[in-house]
Amino acid sequence: MDERGELAAAAAVAIDAGDLALGGGLLALVRPALDLLEVGGVLAVLSTSRGAREDLPSWCRLEGHAYLGSEPAGEGIDQHLIARGRLGIPRGAREHGMRLPERRGCVLAADVLAAAPMPARADPSTGFAPRGARVEPSGPAYPFDLLERDRVAPPEIAALYDQAVGAQWDATRDIPWAEVGNHPPALESAVCQIMTFLAENELSALYVPSRFLPRIHPAFAEVAMFLATQLADEARHIDVFLKRARRAGGGLGISSATTSRSLLSLLELEDFTEAAFLLSALGEGTFLDLLKFVEEHAPDAATAEIARRTRADESRHVHFGLAHVRSALAHDPGLYARLDAAVRRRASTLHDAGGVPSAIQDALTVLAAGDTSPSRIARGHDAFRALLETMHEKRVKRLLVAGFTPAQADEMSTLHTANFM
Amino acid sequence: MRDDTILLGAVAYDPKVVTIWERIRDYFRTSGVKLDFALFSNYERQVETLLRGHIDIAWNTPLAHVRVKRRTEGKSVSLAMRDSDRDFHAKVVVRRDASIKNVADLAGKTLAVGSRDSTQARILPLHFLKKEGVDLSRVKLLPFDSDLGKHGDTGLSELDVLAAVHEGRAQSGTVGDLVWVQAQAAGRVDASKVEVLWTTPGFDHCMFDALPAFPKALADAFTVQLLAMDWDDPQHRPILELEGLKAWVGPREERYESLREALDAIDGW
Repeated sequence: MDERGELAAAAAVAIDAGDLALGGGLLALVRPALDLLEVGGVLAVLSTSRGAREDLPSWCRLEGHAYLGSEPAGEGIDQHLIARGRLGIPRGAREHGMRLPERRGCVLAADVLAAAPMPARADPSTGFAPRGARVEPSGPAYPFDLLERDRVAPPEIAALYDQAVGAQWDATRDIPWAEVGNHPPALESAVCQIMTFLAENELSALYVPSRFLPRIHPAFAEVAMFLATQLADEARHIDVFLKRARRAGGGLGISSATTSRSLLSLLELEDFTEAAFLLSALGEGTFLDLLKFVEEHAPDAATAEIARRTRADESRHVHFGLAHVRSALAHDPGLYARLDAAVRRRASTLHDAGGVPSAIQDALTVLAAGDTSPSRIARGHDAFRALLETMHEKRVKRLLVAGFTPAQADEMSTLHTANFM
Repeated sequence: MRDDTILLGAVAYDPKVVTIWERIRDYFRTSGVKLDFALFSNYERQVETLLRGHIDIAWNTPLAHVRVKRRTEGKSVSLAMRDSDRDFHAKVVVRRDASIKNVADLAGKTLAVGSRDSTQARILPLHFLKKEGVDLSRVKLLPFDSDLGKHGDTGLSELDVLAAVHEGRAQSGTVGDLVWVQAQAAGRVDASKVEVLWTTPGFDHCMFDALPAFPKALADAFTVQLLAMDWDDPQHRPILELEGLKAWVGPREERYESLREALDAIDGW
């Protein structure tokens, strides 16, 4: 056997290319076949094309593959031999044999994550390549700077995403809008003020996470995808709160300087974990109690349903914030001190000695009272004071879940903004 | 005493030439090799400027390279070339409906050819066809002198040739294998209408030329730095893609003989 015969015998891959010309589809067979080979591996191409005989050597020369020659392989058939060149070999292991499980008709993101785990550290030069793709070398480095799995992606992130996509609802149709009804002007006005306050805070919850999204490396795409559901939630909340404010003869109320200062201090955060902590764990956590209060005292079924649905969404955001912080704390003991400092820094810049903004304080009191008779207002005021107590207790519980000590949790909760978010 | 900046000449056959040489200049700077460049509108002016010693290195087409060799009586120094400059070939492509089964059938047919100073699209394919026994006086040439002075660098005349064959204005045409393979790989060739008939023998293409007086230390610094460019390096790859190569390689001289023969035969010097 001559040398070429030996190579042909050693060819790891062979393809039958029929009479395809180079420009007539031949490359669609040759290129994937070469991709199966290691550098130097030999591909045998059986071809009856005269054009392929002329053009395969030229193509190999330009692509950096070695054309080893051809020999007759039967009547009118050439066997061309090509050794794979060393250029542009994609990095990473080849994914194959993947079969995601189907669970009662569903294919879950959590199973995707289990099948294709996140790397501990992401490589900026893989750009937007989906995790698991083989990546050609020499791509440009991308400016993602959230590259550490343990600081970005809690283990339950894909399950949270699955829950979020299953729980989407529609502010246009899913609220019993016909049941808003007519309320005394003072009560309707209180509802409208609360809706104004909620919409303003939810606008910040739309903008704050969106600043971090482009910094998250796509290897941790589930985090970005979860945040996308969170942003969609916030958009829906803004929509539904503003619709309620304008549904029954009222209109928007007051935006307070205290609220504005508090939300700016969230928007200015540069650290993803600090933002998840302050916005989701503390701010949205406090909002859970606020929305529960609104649901309990809502004067009509539509308002109650709005509070119930938005609260269900917010509890997912809180879950993400707590999971994120817990995961980050477990891998970075120095984080306690930094989060503590972030809470203190924020408290010192807000100086909200005046407490809860007066417009929202009064509106919550009137809402709980149900009307403006002094005796009812006294009960409403008690309910408002009880709400503040509940918020503090629940914040402390959440901080304990996140991994803080009771003393730390108590102090941090006390320092939390009077704006709730 | 001369400035230690190497002055390189290149022909601006396309706006991208500015990008290419600015990036290569910046890349050289990172390793302390000072390089600057001057752009010319045609290879004739670039060759004359090199011969007068006003530039140190000329990035030359094969036609310019053999002229420099001849004008310096073989003493010019060849520094480097692209991997894609080695074993260049030209192709004769034909319409499938033209009943051309071999090069002898070109007699009586129209053959579209590229610019008269294009090595790959005109000078050498006609030279090799003649050596193959084709009587060119019986072939109707349809010339496209689309980029005279650029020695075929733009590829414009080759695209004109391919268009003429696709549209039936010519039954056959000559192009370089680079343009032909790239056009096919990009899906711009209708394989049901146009096919390759014949491939010429190989020849070598562009070359960095210097005069014998160019200091060897600078020549070495230039080639070492040039050859260190790496296809898999994200900084280098865009430059290499623009310039049409995957690796720079050392020079070799033996595959310009056919071009010299062809120029002798047509008084093309």
